[in-house]
Amino acid sequence: MSESDRPVVLIVEDEPDVAETYKLWLRKDYEVRMAHDGDEGLELLDDSVDVVLLDRMMPGLSGDEVLERIRERDLGCRVSMVTAVEPDFDILEMGFDAYLSKPIRSEQLHETVENLLERSEYDSLLQNYYSQVEKQATLEASKSSAELEESEEYDELKSEINELKDELSESLGGIGDDADFIATLRGLSNGEDE
Amino acid sequence: MVKTNKLSENMYDLSNVLDFDALSSVRPGTSLLIAGPAMSGKEGLAMDVLKDGAEDGEGAVVVTTNDQAAAVIDEFQTDVPGMEDSQLGVVDCRGDGGDSQQNGSYIHHVNSPGDLTGIGIGITKALEGLHKSGRDKGRLALVSLSTMLTYTDKKTVFKLCHILSSRLDSAGYIGVFTIDSGAHDDQTLQVIKQAFDGLVEFREQDGTRQARVMGLSSQPSDWQEI
Repeated sequence: MSESDRPVVLIVEDEPDVAETYKLWLRKDYEVRMAHDGDEGLELLDDSVDVVLLDRMMPGLSGDEVLERIRERDLGCRVSMVTAVEPDFDILEMGFDAYLSKPIRSEQLHETVENLLERSEYDSLLQNYYSQVEKQATLEASKSSAELEESEEYDELKSEINELKDELSESLGGIGDDADFIATLRGLSNGEDE
Repeated sequence: MVKTNKLSENMYDLSNVLDFDALSSVRPGTSLLIAGPAMSGKEGLAMDVLKDGAEDGEGAVVVTTNDQAAAVIDEFQTDVPGMEDSQLGVVDCRGDGGDSQQNGSYIHHVNSPGDLTGIGIGITKALEGLHKSGRDKGRLALVSLSTMLTYTDKKTVFKLCHILSSRLDSAGYIGVFTIDSGAHDDQTLQVIKQAFDGLVEFREQDGTRQARVMGLSSQPSDWQEI
């Protein structure tokens, strides 16, 4: 995979040793950017960032404040809170997509980043699925059933729709857990202008 | 179609509520769209599907854009006298107030029918409550998609239906969703239908109410008077 194709992970963490460790673990698979506080994090954030690992307790802007500004800017990135305390359900209500509680192991970090990327992948699959379904509905509304039976375009569209449906049901374990469910719904409200 | 016994035990029988063969053995994870003109009994059917399950001890989740949570709970308590309070969860999307409980039934308030994240959180909490009380079978009703379509576009509603169906599928629940077929253009209805496994359609014909079921068996059923 070339440098430009790799997903971008932004680490916002005030402890340099901790940030370096995450970078070391992730740099083989992802392009990693580092920010030492919330302000710098917001500066480094742009459309190319896919996943943000956001420390909750930092001097200056807190993780919660940074998250709020990310959501205000309507960026498509997924955000995992990194915290010292095991949070309850409320992190989802607060707008985080996932959380990691310290100390974090390499395997956990990879799993979380992969899961968040898979959610973005699910979103684009679902968008694609919708577009095809809309095309199908338009064709059905404008052509007679005899014309549809003759139409190769319609045939292809139907098989594409079925393939996308299968892909969607395999992605994210078919929305098997609550965090995937809510984060995917949140993506709908955030991504209105695709 | 021949199914094994083990499988048929898990199936949902909706034919008590609406007498169609195609509804007698509905696979867990199935989501049905109930479409018909205003006042044709769609919402009554959706509620009856849940009440019928509640009679047998199944869980029920009502997501409502129209009715007060308290009114929904009263209705269930009246119509299903043996129901335990923990069997029912209501997600009230009309936008008035925080979480509350009424006689042990779970209520979640959402700011608006356009707040999909809030609705998702409400459904998650309701499902969690049912799961904790040991209900591994259950039914969810969303009443109505037509109101949601006045708050958000058809693309978003389509995606919501798809995601929600997937969530119900992993829970082994079934879902019924109502839409007023007179309130939207054909293209919108056609798109929304595609998010579902099956369709129950109502119409008025020659002064009688009729229904048919599509998508659950290889052929659509004939129109039947109900």
